[in-house]
Amino acid sequence: MTVQARTGLVYGVGALRAAARGDRLVWAVHRAALMNGIIPVVPAMVVSEGFRTEARGDRLEALLAGSEIEPFTGEGARRDGELAARADTTDLVAASVAEAAARRNSAVIATRQAALRAAAGLLGHELVLYAV
Amino acid sequence: MVTKRSVSLADEVAKAVEAAAHEDGVSFSAWLSSAAERQLRVRQGLRGVADWEAEAGALTAEEIAAGEALLARLFSGVSGATSRLRRR
Repeated sequence: MTVQARTGLVYGVGALRAAARGDRLVWAVHRAALMNGIIPVVPAMVVSEGFRTEARGDRLEALLAGSEIEPFTGEGARRDGELAARADTTDLVAASVAEAAARRNSAVIATRQAALRAAAGLLGHELVLYAV
Repeated sequence: MVTKRSVSLADEVAKAVEAAAHEDGVSFSAWLSSAAERQLRVRQGLRGVADWEAEAGALTAEEIAAGEALLARLFSGVSGATSRLRRR
């Protein structure tokens, strides 16, 4: 499906997991982004979940060295909670990824999740996803 | 904490920065600081990639091209499929 051009990149937990496990295409696209002056964005909740579930913290650190970690603010917490409620999901991490992607007009690298697509749809944002 | 430094910029660069800062609603200094911060982040990020490559093996020209092509596809609004490249 082809939709409006995107100007940024947001990583979900799947992107962090793939990098930690040595997915070479994820590292190659991360490199390509940086070489083009694009700094991928990672919502803080994604970072928490990545470190909770992945043993290779060193690889996560290497990926995050070239990423902008978006802080989890009070305002963001309310936004993500309301969005998750509307999307009828308990997956706050997916809601935070969808919300950041919509707000920043960004493509997403993450695992394929119904919650992610539903949350993006509620924001009127057609999800552009590289599913890992 | 802020450090004051005297920097020299080519006239055309200074004019462009001034216009961009005005457009973004920030000061000349804030705009320059933000640009430097981004450049440093890119540099740190590429060091991170190099650290991973030191362990996993350098990305080949083919892999680099595949990454660039995927980025271009995503930015043009086309969703992608699951990676089939090797993992290390």
